[in-house]
Amino acid sequence: MKADAGITYLDAIREAQAHALRDDPRVFIYGQDVGAFGGAFKATKNLAQEFPGRVLDSPISEDAMMGLAVGTAIEGLRPIIEMQFADFSTVGFNQIVNQAATLFWRTNIPCPITVRLPFGGTSGSGPFHSQCIEAIYAHYPGLIVLTPATVEDAYSMLLEAIALDDPVIFCEHKFLYYHLKAEKLPSEALPIGKARIAREGRDLTIVTYSAMVHEALEAARELSSEGWEIEVVDLRSVKPLDTDTVVASVARTGKLLCVGEAWPWGGVTAEIVARVTGEGYGLLDAPPQRLNAKDTPVPYHPNLWAAHRPTARSVAAAARNLLRQ
Amino acid sequence: MPQLGESIAEANIVAFLVKPGDNVVADQNLIEIETNKATMTVTSPCSGKIEKFSAQLNESYAVGAVLGQIEATKEEAARLGLDVASSKISDTDRVSKPDGNGSHTRVQPTVRGLPVPANAAGASYLSPRLKARMTELGLSAADLSGVAGSGAAGRVTVEDFEKFIAQLEKQKTSDASSMRVAVADAMRRSWTRPIAHVGMPVCLDPLFAFRKIARPKPGPALCALRALAVALAENRKPAGRLVGSKIVHPSAIDIGFAVEAEDGVLVPVIRDADKKLLKDLITPYNELVELARERKLPVNATGGSIATVTNFGTFGLEWATPIPLPEQTLVLGMGAARHEPRWDSSKGQFVPVMEANLTLSFDHRVLDGGAAGRLLQRVSELMSKPDQL
Repeated sequence: MKADAGITYLDAIREAQAHALRDDPRVFIYGQDVGAFGGAFKATKNLAQEFPGRVLDSPISEDAMMGLAVGTAIEGLRPIIEMQFADFSTVGFNQIVNQAATLFWRTNIPCPITVRLPFGGTSGSGPFHSQCIEAIYAHYPGLIVLTPATVEDAYSMLLEAIALDDPVIFCEHKFLYYHLKAEKLPSEALPIGKARIAREGRDLTIVTYSAMVHEALEAARELSSEGWEIEVVDLRSVKPLDTDTVVASVARTGKLLCVGEAWPWGGVTAEIVARVTGEGYGLLDAPPQRLNAKDTPVPYHPNLWAAHRPTARSVAAAARNLLRQ
Repeated sequence: MPQLGESIAEANIVAFLVKPGDNVVADQNLIEIETNKATMTVTSPCSGKIEKFSAQLNESYAVGAVLGQIEATKEEAARLGLDVASSKISDTDRVSKPDGNGSHTRVQPTVRGLPVPANAAGASYLSPRLKARMTELGLSAADLSGVAGSGAAGRVTVEDFEKFIAQLEKQKTSDASSMRVAVADAMRRSWTRPIAHVGMPVCLDPLFAFRKIARPKPGPALCALRALAVALAENRKPAGRLVGSKIVHPSAIDIGFAVEAEDGVLVPVIRDADKKLLKDLITPYNELVELARERKLPVNATGGSIATVTNFGTFGLEWATPIPLPEQTLVLGMGAARHEPRWDSSKGQFVPVMEANLTLSFDHRVLDGGAAGRLLQRVSELMSKPDQL
């Protein structure tokens, strides 16, 4: 850990795994090149040396990785599966949604698997290495889907994910891997399923998660110079979804903008709008709005990519539109 | 003049791009126009021959104004759904020639555009939150009339509303009586309809003459009430209520009359006023007035009436435009009596007569000025023969 340079989001993920391996002999890591190579993003760097026989390279088959995870979970182990990119987890989709998600409900045997999905866009990554598929997993009962936005949450939520007896889809945003830094790792955290007020406001609520929290916060700073106080809610966990915190925030502001890096059809932002209009219709002083990526595959070109995903600028523009209603 | 865009009401004619006699095709540019925002063109709604332009150069015309006429073929008119007069004939044509052009039979939508914009905005738009807050405080849309909205197109935002409420709290307020609140609610509901008014003077000399001999004496308001009952018994239609696309006819000629009570108005009802003579109505009428003033009206003495009479003349008023009760279509008003000169052609001079204004306020959805005028004429006529009422 580079103490003076600060702890990155990626460091936090590595530290959480080291912590779990140290504390619980049932924990092991399985994934492509996670062993000697230390993982595609170095999230398991040196862990194979530190914990011999517990950080294992898998074949290039997400299907096989997940099948092994389910089998070892049945036998009482607690596997951490690293997908190289969230995009490729769809190759193991059947094992995740049909086997892991339903195991406990079919057999009463817990399924404590943590699937780490490096997800989300970075410049030039294109259609196969940028996708946000949290909503697809959130659709399935039996899965917990986490989307930490900060170094602290990356650490504490991964620890909690590993400790949970349910299969967890841990969506770690690649854009945040090196950008975010913290001084130290947290000793306590909000529980999973509880959203965080990332910034307090009174004029409008932006509900978002993962990397978009930072775009929303920057938009809020910009709008603050125009006299608007924007409240930013970081969901942290998209399933379970903390409707209470969201509705309470809309009660304070009267206006809702949901921002997500995923595509616009359905998804987390739509789910929030549905819940707020259903449970808090009388709180809305304007039609709730959503801002998502464009409904096309993620483009390679950096300029196209910047136009494809929501940014602080487009979030601020959407917020201004809503504030003027 | 076509609809040129939101908030554009009229446009100026800059140039005619074709002249009468020219053949034009649908969507061809015909007239260049200028609004305060941009220069645009009016295009041809159909193919045909320009018959004439009625619009003048450099004149301004409102949206919807006729700018000229195009002579279109029957087929073209049918396509546009404009052949109303000949529609029956073209129906037979179609039957006899089933292999005719299919475009004739294409169903045209009767409503174009959404009746309400899907993204409702503007001064009349109340957000769910505003509605919820107003419900919580027991307010209605009418209470916001004094609030200038800061939202899109002047809508009152919940913030405007909270400021308004905070402002009210700084001023002295007192609770409105339940009677006041009830009247306010009734008037507000009634006012959602297009209420129109007609009026005319009625000569009261015959009534005053009749009062000299009649025991007990009928008052002008009761005389008007009885006359209205007789007139409505002859033709109940004007007292019908419009609900959706149906006229609901009155089942009995029960007429109410307004009695001022403390901080409000009560409306006792005379049941089957068409079936009793004026002289038989006087005692029950006087009893009801007393009971109303004491606010002791029995339940069956109010409600269910089909029209109301209000004698605003008792306040010295000659004219008023009363509002009918929300569940009624008509309210007959009576002004203060006063001497007026009236031309007597047999004497060749003005003679003094006792006159009062009769007014009729009505729901314009149910009847028009003509029908309202005829009803008022009939009431006036009946009042001129009080001994026969």
